[in-house]
Formats: sequence, C-alpha cells, structure tokens
Amino acid sequence: MGGKKKLLGVAAVLVLTAPLASRSWAETGPDTVVLDSLANHYEAVTFDHAMHVDVAGNCATCHHHTTGEAPVDQNCGRCHSAAQGASGIACRDCHSVEPFSAANLKAIDSNPQMYHTGKPGLKGALHQKCLGCHQEMGAPTGCQDCHARNDQGDAFFRAGKYAPKPTASESHGGGH
Amino acid sequence: MKTLQAQGVKPVDSHLQANGKPWSVKEKLLLGLTPKEYIAMQVRNPFNWLLWIIYAVGIPVLVGRFIFGLGWVTHSSYEYPWGLFLGWGLFTMVPLSASGFMMGTTVELFGRKDFKPIERLGLLNGLLGYLFAVMFLQVDLGQPWRLIYPMFVSLGPAAVLFLVAWHVATYLSCQVAELVPAFSEWMGFPKAKKFIKSIVLGLTVAGIILSTLHQGALGALFTYAPGKVHPLWYSSPFQWFHFFISAVFAGLSMLIVVSTLCKWFLRWRCDDNFLKNLNTLTLGLAKGASLALITYFVTKIIGIAHDGDWEYLASGWGQWFMFEMVVGVLLPLVFYTVAIKNQNASLARFSAFLAVFGIALNRLNTALVTFNWNLYQEIPHWREVMIVITVYATYIVVYRAILARMPILYTWKEQKQ
Amino acid sequence: MKKINRRSFLKGGLAGGAALAATGAKTASAAQDFGGYPDSMGVLVDFTKCVGCRTCEAACNKEQGLPEPEKPFDDQSVFDEQRHGGLPRRPTEKAYTVVNRYNIVGREHPLFRKVQCNHCNEPACLTSCFVNAYKKTPEGAVIYDPTVCVGCRTCMIACPFYVPAYSYSSAINPVVKKCIMCYDTRLKFGRPPACVEACPQQVMTFGKRSELLKLAHQKIRQNPDKYVDHVYGEKEVGGTAWLYLSDVPFDRIGFDTHLGNQPIINYVKEFLTVVPMVLTIWPALFTGFHLLSNRKDAKKNEETKS
Repeated sequence: MGGKKKLLGVAAVLVLTAPLASRSWAETGPDTVVLDSLANHYEAVTFDHAMHVDVAGNCATCHHHTTGEAPVDQNCGRCHSAAQGASGIACRDCHSVEPFSAANLKAIDSNPQMYHTGKPGLKGALHQKCLGCHQEMGAPTGCQDCHARNDQGDAFFRAGKYAPKPTASESHGGGH
Repeated sequence: MKTLQAQGVKPVDSHLQANGKPWSVKEKLLLGLTPKEYIAMQVRNPFNWLLWIIYAVGIPVLVGRFIFGLGWVTHSSYEYPWGLFLGWGLFTMVPLSASGFMMGTTVELFGRKDFKPIERLGLLNGLLGYLFAVMFLQVDLGQPWRLIYPMFVSLGPAAVLFLVAWHVATYLSCQVAELVPAFSEWMGFPKAKKFIKSIVLGLTVAGIILSTLHQGALGALFTYAPGKVHPLWYSSPFQWFHFFISAVFAGLSMLIVVSTLCKWFLRWRCDDNFLKNLNTLTLGLAKGASLALITYFVTKIIGIAHDGDWEYLASGWGQWFMFEMVVGVLLPLVFYTVAIKNQNASLARFSAFLAVFGIALNRLNTALVTFNWNLYQEIPHWREVMIVITVYATYIVVYRAILARMPILYTWKEQKQ
Repeated sequence: MKKINRRSFLKGGLAGGAALAATGAKTASAAQDFGGYPDSMGVLVDFTKCVGCRTCEAACNKEQGLPEPEKPFDDQSVFDEQRHGGLPRRPTEKAYTVVNRYNIVGREHPLFRKVQCNHCNEPACLTSCFVNAYKKTPEGAVIYDPTVCVGCRTCMIACPFYVPAYSYSSAINPVVKKCIMCYDTRLKFGRPPACVEACPQQVMTFGKRSELLKLAHQKIRQNPDKYVDHVYGEKEVGGTAWLYLSDVPFDRIGFDTHLGNQPIINYVKEFLTVVPMVLTIWPALFTGFHLLSNRKDAKKNEETKS
C-alpha cells in the first residue's frame, strides 16, 4: 500500500471544523469532526462530536485525563489525577499518525524511562475507542457502517466490481 | 525360459557360444536367443501382462505429474508435505537396500568367503534400491532438475538432508564400483575388475560409514518434527539408531526375500553353487538379522523408557504400535530363532517376508500414518499410488533384466585365453 | 583368493575416510544456541483487539502481489470455512496471512486470530534446508531464496507452526511460499509490515522485540483480569519475532502449547554429534576388524613376500 502517499495524505488527519454550535466551545469542543485519514480507501467521516458528548457524558471516556477530568482507567489514575489537563486535547495531539515511524521507535529505544510505549497510533486509537464503545452500546460496528468505501477501497478489498468471479478461481492446495 | 530350457536351450554364461564363436553384445542382451524366441518368451510370461497393464495406466499418470504438477497427483497438503513417494520410495526402499553394505562387510571385511555366492545379489539389491529411491525422490521433488543444487549451487551443510543427499550420491557411486566386476565379466573387460579388486576394501569401509550415517540420517530427518510424529515412533536421541539398526535386519531380510523369489522365478538363471548353498546362506543371513532384530527391539524399549512414553501404549496408537512390534519385530525374531535352531530355511524365508513387511509398516507409520497424529489422517491420492506402483514395477523390470544377464546368480565361466 | 596386504587396505580405508570427511564433516558444525539477533524487530499481536475485518489480509495480498482471492476480503463467510479434519483456514501459497474466528463460550464476542509466519529466532525451516535457501535477517525476518528451492519440503515438515506453504499447483516452478514480514519492501527500510500498518484497530504493535516483550508484560501486569499471563512466542521453540497476547487460553484458539522452549534444531543435535564420531571412528574400527578376521591371510601374505 502506497506508504509514502499515505504519509502525505494523512497530514491533515483531523480537520476540526469551525465551531458552529450553540454550546460554548470551551465546554464541549466542536460539534462535528471530519475524519479523513483513510482517504485511500474510504470517504471521510463526519463525526458527530456533540451527539457523542451527550452519550458519553464524560470527556474522560474518550479523552483520558487531558480535559482535566479524572481518568476512567485506574492505571491512568496512578499518575494522572483529576484537574491535571493537557495542552493538547485532540486525538492526534498524542496519538501519532505514524506510530511505528523511525523517530518513534528510536525514542522508545533510547529512553528506558519512557512510558506509554504501547500507545496506539491515531488510526488505532480512533478505531479502538469507537468500536469498543459501539460494541458495548450495540451501535453499528461494520466498517462501512461508519465510512463508505470508495472505488480504491473496493479494489483493495477485491469487492464490488473488483470481486473475484466465482468460476475463475480453482481451489488448490491446503484444501485438505 | 523354463519352456526353452526344456527344449534344451542354455542361457549365456560365458563369452563363447557352444560352437566356439564369441557372443556379440546384442546376442548377450537377448540371452542367446533369436529375437523371435526372445519376444515369444516375453509374451508367454503372464507377469509381463500385468506389467503392461500397470504401464498402460501408470505412464500417463506419471507424465501428467510433470505436466500438471504435484497438485494433480497428490493431495498436495501443507500439513502432509511428504506422501507415498518418500514414505515408500525413500524411507522404505533405502533400509530394504542395506543388503549392499551388509554383504560387502561380511565378505570383504570379515572375510566370510562362504557368503560369496550371495554377495553380488546383495550388492545389486543395494544398488537398485538406492537407484530407485533416487527415482522416487525425483518424482517427489518439486524441481527435480535442481537435484544437484545441494551439491554445487547452494549448500546447506548443517541440514540432515544435506548429509543424506551427499551420502546417497557417494554411496551410489560406491555401489556401482562394487558391481563393476559383474559387469566387466559379462562385457569382457577384465582390467576394470582388477582395478576394483585393488580398492575393494576402501569401498567397503566407505560403504559402512556412508550407510551408518545416511540410514541414521533418514531417521534423524524426523527429529525435526518432534511434535508431529507420534511419541511411540519418535525419540530424539534414539531415532537415528532405530533407523540404522532396523535397516540392518531390513536389508538382510530383503536379501532372503529376493533370493527366495530368484529361487522360485529365476531358477533357470541360478547355478548349482547358488542353489546348493542357498539354504545355508539363508540361515546365515537369518542369524545376522535376528541379532539386529533383538538389538532393535531392546533399543526401542529403551527409547520408550527414556522418553517416558509408556502411557501412550494404552491408547489406540499404542495398540497399532504393538501390532507393528509383534508382527514386524517379535514374530520374525522368534521365527528366525526357531529356524536357525532347526535348520529350517523355509521358516527363515517366511520370517524374512514378515520382517520386510514390518519395516515397511514402521517407515510408513513414521512418515505418514502417525505423522500429524494430533491433526488428521491423510489418505494418498489414487494417482500417487499408481505412480508408486509404476516406478516400483520398473524397479522389478530392471532388477529382473540384470539378474537374467549378468553373473549375479551364477558364476561366469572364464575362458583361458 | 584375494590378496590384500596391510598397505593396500590402509590405503583404501584412508581414501574412503578422506572422501567422507570432505563431504560429511561440515555437517557436524551444527548451530549452537543462538537466541536471536539482539536488535531484531518483532510484532506484538493483541487478540483482544482484533475485530476480524480482514484488512490485514487485503494489505498482504496487495503488498506481496498475490493472486486474486476466491472471495472478497470483506467477505465474512470465510470464517465458516473448514478444511480437512475440521481445521480452520491457514496461510497458503496465495495468502501469506489469514484471520480465523473462534467462538468462545462465555466470551461476549468471538475471538479473531491472525495467522502468519512467526519468524522464529532459530527457525526450524532454516536449519532443515539443505540448499540454505532460508535466512534470518538481523531485522528479524525469516526470508528465503525461491531460486534455489529444490522442493524437498523438509521445511514444511520441520516448521512447528505449519507455516510454509508450497505451490503444488505449479509444474514448472513450484516453490515454498510464506510470509517474509515484508522484508524486501518495508522491514529492510525500518518500516512495519503491510498488515501491521493497515490494521485499523492496531491489533499489532511493531517494534524492537525486546521492547515488545516489556510492553507485553506491562500490559499483562496492568490488566491481570483481562489477559492470560503468558506471552506466546517469548520462549516457544527458542522464541519468535511475533508475540501474542490473548484473553483466552492459547490452546483454545489453535495454538500448540506443547512445543517446549527448545529450538527445533536441538532435537536434531543428538544425531549431528554422532556424525563426526562415525566419520572418525568407523574407518579405524572396521579396518581393525578386518585385520583381526583376516590375520591368517595377512600373515601368509607377508611370509610369502619376505
């Protein structure tokens, strides 16, 4: 998969749309967030932040300790107590677009004190959070329930018009 | 040939015809018969009809294997990468061909000249067995034309199979050399025979070393699969020894079997020296085989004790194992012993058939039946079976053709020149 | 009667021995305990996160230029497929990685397990290959050179994980096929394999194997109620570059938990040590036997000479 292209493509990972909401920005953040890091294979997703704020009820559910609320996970609480926010709140501020970049791997290697070495990248963080909650809440969990696949994506998954013809392939090897 | 002999025809056994004229090579190939007589003889033999049927089905399948690939003839499974071609062709054929080095050792090294009448049959059985093991390998290898790669192109000297490849190749040339005398007598090249005689001891010692190692190495190949072969057929420290020592009685028993078949079906070609001595020789071979059998049985038990595999004996696999041990090892051992005690060559012959069956069962059990005992059982494709039968039939044809011509079962009558 | 005096048989014996030493002695220099390259990379797979989307399979197919699959990569019906013996799907010549579904009683969702080459520290395939086609790179990948593959398939016998597949369908150029951790196109350049990068859930973490082990144990320590207290691949058959965390006992999701911690080559070593002994002892031993059994002949020969 064109890694280089993807690198450039995800430069604008999280486009924070202008705050149009009635609620105050400082309190609840943006109403919607456009997620288009998977533009290679999927259409961008417009994430209804406001709605999810209502459902989650608690910023820490998704934003850990960064918003200044007490973190949900006890393990986090050991270091991050309440009222200890972070300068960056958006996912991509902490979750790297390229978690396994040479720089990130080097940082882990050269700093034995480093914590959060297994912190997921942005794509992983988003999916783990979204899907984790969606599974619990009975919300949609299929790939295309959230983002529609584009033509390139169909080609990648060999689906849609790129689907293999049933007669074309013959079963060979390992079938036993 | 029996019919012809009844009519007074004598097969070629010297360079000169009855009227004093030398035989030509063509005449020697036709056994001294006219082409018409020769063909009539072949047609008369019902066994040849069976061969024609095998070839009619088998050759198209064999050709198909090289056109459509292994996937067409085998079940081409990733869990069972080795099937009958190796299970039978390599792992069974090679121990059954251990007679070559056994007879070489007995006659040339230990000076037991009394085994001379059967030495050449032992050597030929060894040579042809190895040759056809290589043929089976060539059918099984994905890219047979790369057979020389481990020798010259890309060497993996730390692998057991590397050792097998080199040793089988070296040993094959060793065996060819050992049989040069028979060929040179038949062709009339006395110099070649003389040269081989001068190095025969070196060849024999080389034969022992090579045989010890590659017979053992065939067993050691399975030590790469500790969890896949059933523990009763697997023992990391003893596997090589089990394979080596069982090859000893396998080779000797096969020699008894082959000599018996010769006695039955190629009697016209055997001379008095061979036929008269055969019973005594059979019992001599039986003695050797029974010693190897008891050693094998004891080390097999030690292997089980060492690895702590007793509990498996109670399982279904254990019963299968005990069947193999009783029918393939203990019964031949008992029959051989009784046969030696009572000087009963017929019983020794029966025992030899049992032992050969037992060794085939053991090798197939190790390579195929109990392999992946935790997964599922694989039954070979009919085309795979057909190819095995075809190649083995060719082995018999070549075997028979050489026995009928060269001085293996009879002594060549040298003329004083 | 054959005339063999001492000199001629010693000559013969030595020649035989020397020829053998040249061919077989190298075999004795079998691998010693190796333990893996210190800076080798690895992948930590956390099965608790996998949702079975099969994006990794699609990414592998594209990266390695593999043939068209039988079904689209978003087709979930493949999870119901069964092979001979009720076994789930496995890597093949056309797919170097597959994801399987395990329905676990008492678990809210099925567990999905990705299968591919584990890239052992001391690979059995490598040590069993008689044309030296396999190579363990310092980066951690087990790669192979298909241009020398003879097709003996011993590596498939030797691999404790049943990983290498074989292109049985090809008559002209059948070779062994397996995951190479995207060595040629990615790992060599310090980048993670395509499947790791493509995974939306980041089920897989790419990094230095030693760091991944620390991370894995940290994860277990922080979530003792969630994970099974075992990192599969840390010690199995001498350790593998791919490591696994699971919340379901490994033997219930198709892992062989009886492999032991010895690299496969250790089981073969018992024989490999025999090789040099036979090579050196046998010639002397058997020529000695010959001497003994033919003493009379030899004496006679020498008498007639002198």
